Amino acid sequence: MLEELAKIPWAVIAPLILVQIILMIVALIDLRKIHETNGPKILWVFIILFVNLLGPIAYFIVGRKQS
Amino acid sequence: MNGFSVLLQKEFREAWRSWKFLWIPLVFALLGMTDPLTNYYMMDILSAVGNVPEGFEMLMPELGPADLLQASIGQFQTIGLLVLMASFVGTISKERANGMATLMYVRPISFRAYFMSKFVVMSTVGFISIVAGYSASVYYIAVLYGTFEGATLIASIGTYFVWLLFVFAVTLMMSATFTSVVATAGAFVIIFVGQIMVAFVGVFWTVTPWKLPTYGVQLIRGTMEMSDYWWSLAVTLVITIVCMNIGVLTMKKNVAMTKI
Amino acid sequence: MTTILQVTGLTKRFAEKTVVDAISFTLEEYTSTALIGPNGAGKTTTLSMLTGLLKPTIGNVELSGVDLRANIGFLPQYPQFHPWLSALEFTEMAARLNGVPSKKAKVDAQKTLEFVGLENALNKKIATFSGGMKQRLGISQAIVHKPKLLLLDEPVSALDPVGRREVLDLLKGLQQETTILYSTHILNDAEEMTDQLLFLRDGKLVEQGTLREVRQRFDEPRYVVEFSTEEEARLFASHSELFGKAQGCYVFVDIQEEEPTMQQLLQQLSACPYNVRKVARQTASLEEIFMKVAKRV
Repeated sequence: MLEELAKIPWAVIAPLILVQIILMIVALIDLRKIHETNGPKILWVFIILFVNLLGPIAYFIVGRKQS
Repeated sequence: MNGFSVLLQKEFREAWRSWKFLWIPLVFALLGMTDPLTNYYMMDILSAVGNVPEGFEMLMPELGPADLLQASIGQFQTIGLLVLMASFVGTISKERANGMATLMYVRPISFRAYFMSKFVVMSTVGFISIVAGYSASVYYIAVLYGTFEGATLIASIGTYFVWLLFVFAVTLMMSATFTSVVATAGAFVIIFVGQIMVAFVGVFWTVTPWKLPTYGVQLIRGTMEMSDYWWSLAVTLVITIVCMNIGVLTMKKNVAMTKI
Repeated sequence: MTTILQVTGLTKRFAEKTVVDAISFTLEEYTSTALIGPNGAGKTTTLSMLTGLLKPTIGNVELSGVDLRANIGFLPQYPQFHPWLSALEFTEMAARLNGVPSKKAKVDAQKTLEFVGLENALNKKIATFSGGMKQRLGISQAIVHKPKLLLLDEPVSALDPVGRREVLDLLKGLQQETTILYSTHILNDAEEMTDQLLFLRDGKLVEQGTLREVRQRFDEPRYVVEFSTEEEARLFASHSELFGKAQGCYVFVDIQEEEPTMQQLLQQLSACPYNVRKVARQTASLEEIFMKVAKRV
């Protein structure tokens, strides 16, 4: 088990995972605080959680509604 | 520059509270990772997809660190710029159209200060973004391929940042001059059609803002014709300043477009 | 009284249409002036030109020798705020953009927000505000820098009766401190808080003066007598020498050159056997004057 874990090229994967997690958390925090979104909020929760990388970005580009 | 610091604070608060300081740099970081990763794992990806015949040896070109950095910059030049420009192209025109500008414009503010506050915030987001993008790209290149020399790398980032300042000046000038839709179309045409033109006739057209991103990589390769480089840099800065001044003027002229 | 604002020949043309047509008026210091007129009369356009947001085609606006933009406060009909700022941040920014030093701006912003009744929402984001709260915030951003002239476009029209009452009282509290010019089409408001009336119709200033002056010009005073039954009203109208008109339980008697006097009317009434409930002298409401001015050719 440990050996298999060690075989994974962490130097390659870790930054990707990190970026994904940050984007996801920030998008979810913002979604919680924001007054209104384009489209139903629950839909954005799913997009942010299940569409890797692109989900949170899509939320920031088209999901947020100002004013 | 009446009220510059107050306006700057307002613009920073907006960018900060809409997370632009975070998500745009992260998009650039992702873009920077894409090319080194996909190129390195190209054979694995192809075999995983499963259409590679037995004993097939594809002749992959031998790519050096500079080639991969160039590929990453290609990503910044398309998706990266699209995201940056789209996020900021409405900053003046939208404020006018939805009436938020009214309560600003009735005060004795300087339009130069207002325009500059938006420019500074956009530039700051842009700067953090390319630093993130370059860092991600250079990190993966270093892990998978090889390293760069520090000084030329920084010169390359600096060159790309000057190009970005030009893009931002054009974007904000368009936003100050036209309505959001026209401004978006206009800014995109100038930046992207310019890139295509330079790709076609760039051999003969060596002194131009649109060449700066390529020149940044050529600095790393050590193949840069330095007189072309300096001239392009100077021309870009001059055009940037001219665009900014036009933007200030049209912003002032278009006060009457504000919805009251 | 000192004149604070002088407007001469103010005109705005859009393409072929003249929206505001050569209007001239002056405002005296510490007075309230109501700009009234039907929809589309050019009220908002006039106010926009006074703020400097819109350039007049011809004409001149002068604010007693000082820079106009630095000395006005403006509340548009539908104020739009940057929703990601808090009420305090927005008001403070407004003060600082008008040249109030930063420390004072913060204190002033807080005081002003307390004055307009937003003391519990200082640090709430404007995005969460209701319409009434936004209107209060709109007033606070217009007065935080103590402007010489306060311009308000339909300040209470969009509010419910309670909100309207509260905002009107706020504005009345400001009358001692600044000169106010506001547009409205709700005439009760104008009646309540005005020293001068400016009446716009089709972009022209068709009537102006104090409420009393305008009233004298248009008033058709009359007496109203209320009887207990319609029958009595009808009988009184037909039998008395006063040429009254009966309408339901009421009889209306027109007054021409102070004739008849109240005494004469009362004598007539005491001479007849009917039950009188109420006698009053009636002056035209602003609403009636408004209708007359609006319809006058």
